[in-house]
Amino acid sequence: MAYVLGIDIGSGFSKAVICEDKTILSHAIMPSGGNFKETAGKVTEIVLEKAGLSPGDISYATATGYGAAVVDFADRSITDISCHAAGVCHMFPSVRTLIDIGAQFSKAIRLNDKGKVANFILNEKCAGGSGKFIQVIARILHMKIEDIGKFSIQSDNPVEFTTGCAVFAESEAVSRIAEGALPGDILAGVHKAMASKIVNLVVRLGLTGDCAITGGGAKDHGLVRAIKTELNTDVLVPEEPRITAAFGAALSAAENIYQ
Amino acid sequence: MGDTLVSSVIGPSGPEHRRLANKVMEEALASASIVFDDLAYVVATGYGRINVPFADKQVTEITCHAKGLYSLLPTAKTIVDIGGQDSKGIKLNEGKVSSFVMNDKCAAGTGRFLEVIADALGVPLEKLGDISIKAEKAAIISNTCTVFAEQEVTSQLANGESVANLIAGIHEAIAVRIYSLISKLKISPDVAITGGGAKNIGLIRALEIKFGFPVLVPPEPLLTGAIGAAIVGKEICERAAGSGEILKRSAQGLQEATFFS
Repeated sequence: MAYVLGIDIGSGFSKAVICEDKTILSHAIMPSGGNFKETAGKVTEIVLEKAGLSPGDISYATATGYGAAVVDFADRSITDISCHAAGVCHMFPSVRTLIDIGAQFSKAIRLNDKGKVANFILNEKCAGGSGKFIQVIARILHMKIEDIGKFSIQSDNPVEFTTGCAVFAESEAVSRIAEGALPGDILAGVHKAMASKIVNLVVRLGLTGDCAITGGGAKDHGLVRAIKTELNTDVLVPEEPRITAAFGAALSAAENIYQ
Repeated sequence: MGDTLVSSVIGPSGPEHRRLANKVMEEALASASIVFDDLAYVVATGYGRINVPFADKQVTEITCHAKGLYSLLPTAKTIVDIGGQDSKGIKLNEGKVSSFVMNDKCAAGTGRFLEVIADALGVPLEKLGDISIKAEKAAIISNTCTVFAEQEVTSQLANGESVANLIAGIHEAIAVRIYSLISKLKISPDVAITGGGAKNIGLIRALEIKFGFPVLVPPEPLLTGAIGAAIVGKEICERAAGSGEILKRSAQGLQEATFFS
C-alpha cells in the first residue's frame, strides 16, 4: 500500500488528488490566484487533511499543469496533456477523443488504443474557445459562473452571435440585452459560438471512438450540450471533470513507485 | 459648388445611431450657419450608414475613405484605416479602390484592443500615444488575443513593468497585427493612416517601424470617411447638373429621431 499525490496547477484552478495505488482517497480544488507556489502548498495541505494523512505518508508526488514548475516538493512533473489522457483512460477506457476546456486554453487530444497520447491540438491564441469567454459574458450578466449552465440549458432559442471573438461578443451581448434578449438565450448563444471553435479543433484532429470532455468547461451543462449538438454525438463526462489531470498525475506517480 | 470644408462635427456613436446622426447633423448645420434645406445632397457612410434616415444615399466606408483620403493626400497609394471595430487596408489606383483587406473577426489589431488595454491601465485612450513615446523600451506582449493580452498587461504591471513600456509594447503588438493584414495587399508608398487609430502617435511610430518608412496622416483622421461621403455627394450633384437629371432625395428629411424607429 502506498499513497501518491497528483497536483495540477492550472491557470484558473489548482487541483490535488491523493490515491492509494490507483483509487482516489481525496481531492481538493481551489482558485490558483496570483501566487502559484503558495496555492500549491495550500491545496496539498487540504487534500492531505481530507485523506487524514501527513506529508511524510506520500511516497511519490507528480505535478502537472500550467504552473507545474512551481511545485518544488514534487518528485517529477509531466505535461497536463498526458495526465488528462491517463486520467480519462483509467475512467473511460473506450475514449479515443478527449476535449479539455480550461480557464485559459482548450485542447483536443487523440488517444491511441493503449490510451496514450497520439496527437493533440491546442487553442491558446484566442479566448473565443476557452473558459475565459464564459467568464467575460457571466460578468456582464452579473451571473455566477456555476449558474451559467442551468440558465443556458433551458434555452431553446440561442442568440446568434456574428463573431467568435470574446471581446466583440461582449459588445454584441450588451446590445442584445438592451433589446430584451433573455440571459439564458445569450448564454446558449455563447455556448454555441464556443462549441463551434472547440469542435473545430476536434475536426482538425479527426473524431474517432468515444469522446470525453474534461476540465472546468465540462461542469457547464450548457456548453456540454452545445458541443454534443455540434459534434452530433454523445460525450462522456467524469463525475468531477476538473480533477482529471491531477488524477492522471497521481496514476503516473503510482506507476513510478513500482518501476 | 466648392471643394471647401465648411463645418465638421465628431461625436461618439453610442448604441442609438439614429439619434446621434440627427445630433451631429444639427450641430454641423448650426456651425455652418445653414439649414437642412440648404443642402443639395446628403450621403451617409460607415458601419451605421443605414441608420441615417435623412440621407439621400448610402455609400460604403471603403469608397468614402478612399475618396476622402485621395482629396487630402493625393500621393497615397495604400490606406490603413484603424477603426474602433475593425481595421482595413485599401489599395488605391489613381484615387479608385483597386483592392482591400479587412479584419473585423478579431479585436486584436483594431481600436478595440487599445480601448481594452487603456481601460485596464486606467489611462485615457487619447493619452496612450504621448505616454508611449516616453517609453524606455517596449515591453514584450506575447499574447495576440485582446482578452489574454489584457491579463498579461495587468500581471506585468504587478511585476513592476512601467505603464509607458507596456503601452509601447501594446502599440508594437497591434502594429504587427495590422502590418500582417496590410501585407496581403502589395504595399506601395505613400501609406496613409486614417481612423481613430491615426490619432495615436505611438501607434503611428510603431507602424512606421514595421513599414520601414514614414507614413502620412490627414489633419483630422476621424473625418476622412465623412469628407469622402461629401465628395461623393458633390460628384452626384455635378453629374446630375451636367445631364439635367433631377436628383431623387430622401423623403424623410431631418426629423426627430425615436429609439429603434
